[in-house]
Amino acid sequence: MRPDQWLKRWLRALVAVALLGTGTAWAFDLTELMGLLAQKKSGEARFTEQRFVRGLDGPISAAGTLSFQAPDKLTRETTLPRPESMAVDGNQLTLSRGGRTRTLTLDSMPEMLGMVEAMRGTLSGDAGTLQRYFKSKLGGSREGWTLDLAPTDERLAAQVDGVRLTGRAGEVLGVEMTFRGGDRSVMTIVPGAAPTAKPAAARAPS
Amino acid sequence: MSATSAVSAAAADAPSSRQRWTALAAWLLLLVAGIVVIAHSRFSADLSAFLPASPDGRQRVLIEQLQSGVASRTLMAGIEGGVDAEQRAAVSRAMAAQMRASKLFEQVQNGDAGDWSAAGTWLFERRYQLSPAVTPEHFTAVGLRDAIDETLSLLGTPAGNAIKPLLERDPTGETQRIAEGLIPASAPRSAAGVWVSRTKPRALILASTRASGGDLDAQAIAIAQIQQAFDSAVQQLGNAASKPTLLMSGAPVFSVQSRDKIKGEALHLAAIGGIVMSTLLLLAFASLRALFIALLPVLTGVVAGTATVSLVFGSVHGLTMGFGSTLIGETVDYAIYYLIQARQNYPGAPAGSGWRHWRAVHWPTVRLGLLTSVVGFAALVFSGFPGLAQLGVFSLAGLIAAALATRYVLPVLAPDGASGQGMRRPMARVAGALVRALPKLRWAFVGLGIAALALVLWQGGHLWRANLSAMSPVTRAAQDLDAELRDDIGASEGSTLVVLQGADEQATLRAAEAATLRLDALVGRGELAGFETVTRLLPSEAAQQARIASLPEAQVLRTRLVEASAGSPLPAAKLEPFIADVVAARALPPIHSTDLKEGPLAGVVNAMLFERPGGGWSSVIALHVGARFDNARLRAALADVPEVQVIDIGAELGGLYSRYLHEAFVQVALGALAVLALLGLWLRSWRRLVAVSEPLVFAVVLTLGFLALAGAALGILHLVGLLLVVAVGSNYALFFDQLQETGEADEDTLASLLFANLTTVVSFTLIAISDIPALSSIGRVVAPGALLALLLSAAFARRRLGAPRR
Repeated sequence: MRPDQWLKRWLRALVAVALLGTGTAWAFDLTELMGLLAQKKSGEARFTEQRFVRGLDGPISAAGTLSFQAPDKLTRETTLPRPESMAVDGNQLTLSRGGRTRTLTLDSMPEMLGMVEAMRGTLSGDAGTLQRYFKSKLGGSREGWTLDLAPTDERLAAQVDGVRLTGRAGEVLGVEMTFRGGDRSVMTIVPGAAPTAKPAAARAPS
Repeated sequence: MSATSAVSAAAADAPSSRQRWTALAAWLLLLVAGIVVIAHSRFSADLSAFLPASPDGRQRVLIEQLQSGVASRTLMAGIEGGVDAEQRAAVSRAMAAQMRASKLFEQVQNGDAGDWSAAGTWLFERRYQLSPAVTPEHFTAVGLRDAIDETLSLLGTPAGNAIKPLLERDPTGETQRIAEGLIPASAPRSAAGVWVSRTKPRALILASTRASGGDLDAQAIAIAQIQQAFDSAVQQLGNAASKPTLLMSGAPVFSVQSRDKIKGEALHLAAIGGIVMSTLLLLAFASLRALFIALLPVLTGVVAGTATVSLVFGSVHGLTMGFGSTLIGETVDYAIYYLIQARQNYPGAPAGSGWRHWRAVHWPTVRLGLLTSVVGFAALVFSGFPGLAQLGVFSLAGLIAAALATRYVLPVLAPDGASGQGMRRPMARVAGALVRALPKLRWAFVGLGIAALALVLWQGGHLWRANLSAMSPVTRAAQDLDAELRDDIGASEGSTLVVLQGADEQATLRAAEAATLRLDALVGRGELAGFETVTRLLPSEAAQQARIASLPEAQVLRTRLVEASAGSPLPAAKLEPFIADVVAARALPPIHSTDLKEGPLAGVVNAMLFERPGGGWSSVIALHVGARFDNARLRAALADVPEVQVIDIGAELGGLYSRYLHEAFVQVALGALAVLALLGLWLRSWRRLVAVSEPLVFAVVLTLGFLALAGAALGILHLVGLLLVVAVGSNYALFFDQLQETGEADEDTLASLLFANLTTVVSFTLIAISDIPALSSIGRVVAPGALLALLLSAAFARRRLGAPRR
């Protein structure tokens, strides 16, 4: 890590501690949220997803696991209804569907990159990356926040209306995407690795 | 032969003036014919002249690729700097539009999504012939359900909006399946809607010309078209704060630049060489007439050499042209020998008959020198590499023509040699002093020679470490730019090719399909990032027929869809358009390559499938290797595919060069042996043979020693240079031999030797400082080598010379 980055992180952490110490009189802001998110270097979670697509009779459901490793590794393994996976490592995107694997460069598809950065930027607490692709709006408090992202790039905006991330402290607990044309996907995230960890770990919401 | 009998013999066969004028007329005629041939010659500059003429299977494929593969006609352009990415993107779009409109290019890609819009419609219509997923199982109830589920899994994701409009016509996702195969694994970065560099503020365009890579004139026009498209795109920017600049690279740019550079350099060298040589000749002869006459054999040699190469090989390589300037150094010697030596005559012989004395006394030596050069270079003629063979033919024809011009034309124009005195007297004095002093340094030379030999042997193979690129006149900076643009575009990975060959198009396509299956398995295991094959756009007829045969009739499909969509959010009732498309597809005629030749996909198809020059067809699969790639595993996976070649271009070129170097060693050694044999035959004396070869051997060893000491990386052209040292040096050694035999070391002969050597060293020094590596390699060997050959010939002379025998 470069010294200036380290210093910034350290300052952010210091600010966070100071705020905690003095109570919650101060408004919860993006810097603080990013500081909280940045503390977590890796994580695994389970997800369930419901997608509402116009013209289809009923929603499409999916479930699987997510994993993240700072700064740029992100994997989504879908187990239901059919196994498939999407793994991002730096600029490389590997898609596995129907027994086939494809490797692609992420930055050759700016729209895809934007969506990946929405997740990656949030999970790694990288405000700079987020703001390169989105206008952000933060609501709620440390105990329950909502981060609304609206794409600034017109090509991405032609596909995606917005992304809403919800969470508590340094955990992302939900991702909702709204697409141009009215389709929508709602993902609920339960932090924790093993599918057996039913009464989720201490950090999981009650 | 006594002087008087020589006079009478000469008088007896003295040509009449008519015969002399006939010689002159014949010479002029040949000269004009040569110039006409040259005017109609094609000049090439590609690397392929330095590839073997009788390659093995893999090499043949490689050479075909280098000569006519898509790489040989692919240009890369970078639009760098300016205000911002949007401005560069605007220039990129305007340029691409103009380039497409010019019709010079088969394909112009700049990452604009519009690239695929026309192709997209065609791919969609032909999806049931193109999609590899289409099998009988795919259209069973279970297969349909599976395929529809897979398509649905993309809805409600960022990819969903692209798929949704096609859902009811293509619920089984054949379009995605085709698109998936066509997106390259290492595509360039995209910003503001166009391809851009990952490391520099630069937009990128990739274009392949319609003209073949070997057609340099057409390539030059294409390059000019890109420049012009850029200029007008930049003009459209009006008065922007800052404007981008254009970068260009690719094989055509290299070839055209090399040709121009070699042409320019050859002219430049000829001009400077001509001026320097003329000054020297003027100093020596103090006569314009003598200067003019001295240059005639040079001119004759260059014209004859170039014209002969053009006639024998059909085209003249730029390097051969550049090599022409090296010939000046040797051919001017003939004229100098003649002009100075023809001044001598038999006592009491009439004026105007000096040439007879020269012909009797000195011509045999010049002729022997010529013959040694001829046998030396003859070895190159038989080289399996057209480039080397060209140099050989050029030298042979050039030297013989120059010598003949000296022998037959110069006596007509200057029967008594050059009359002027000029600087010859001081030159003769210097020569005399050298000749007297040098033998004292003999043992010093021997010591140096042994040290040099030790150094050369110690360095061994390391000394000969130059590679193929060392022969290329492309600058380091241009090579770096090329590598950078290649990296940006993701083209650098195309260094491993899988090439399939077949008797006809269909056999080749079937072989490519067999290879594709094996490669898919490698991709599945992560051992290959991806690959591009023509069969994704043009499957074999067999594959197309099998796919069409898999499509069920309307009623059957309708029944199966009802079963497949039970409980699915996409009810069968919505899928009538799908059934209609399947029914229509059953009646579609198979796709032929001719259908694609006119359309937007022509460029892609032509790059990967082509008729081979020697008959048969060839298909190239370009690999995106990825981190876990292993060449051995690739070869193993493809082992049972017929007619397949796996080519690692870098390794293959390296191997070619090694073979080339080895062959050049053998040829140069044979040439040197032939020279020795000839000298032995002529001299008929072991003692004299040793005396003549001694200075040559030492000159070669010392030259190599100097180069080794200077840390030079030696290659094939240095070897050719050494052969030239032997060829030029043998003249000196023979003159000293002749002087020792006759004992006459008159001033004029010594002056002519010194002067001939001076011009040779000067002309090769000029070549040594040329910035065309191939030429400078030769110059750096011959300039010191020729000087050493003269000095050593004097140093090793056994009898003291410099004064007439008493």
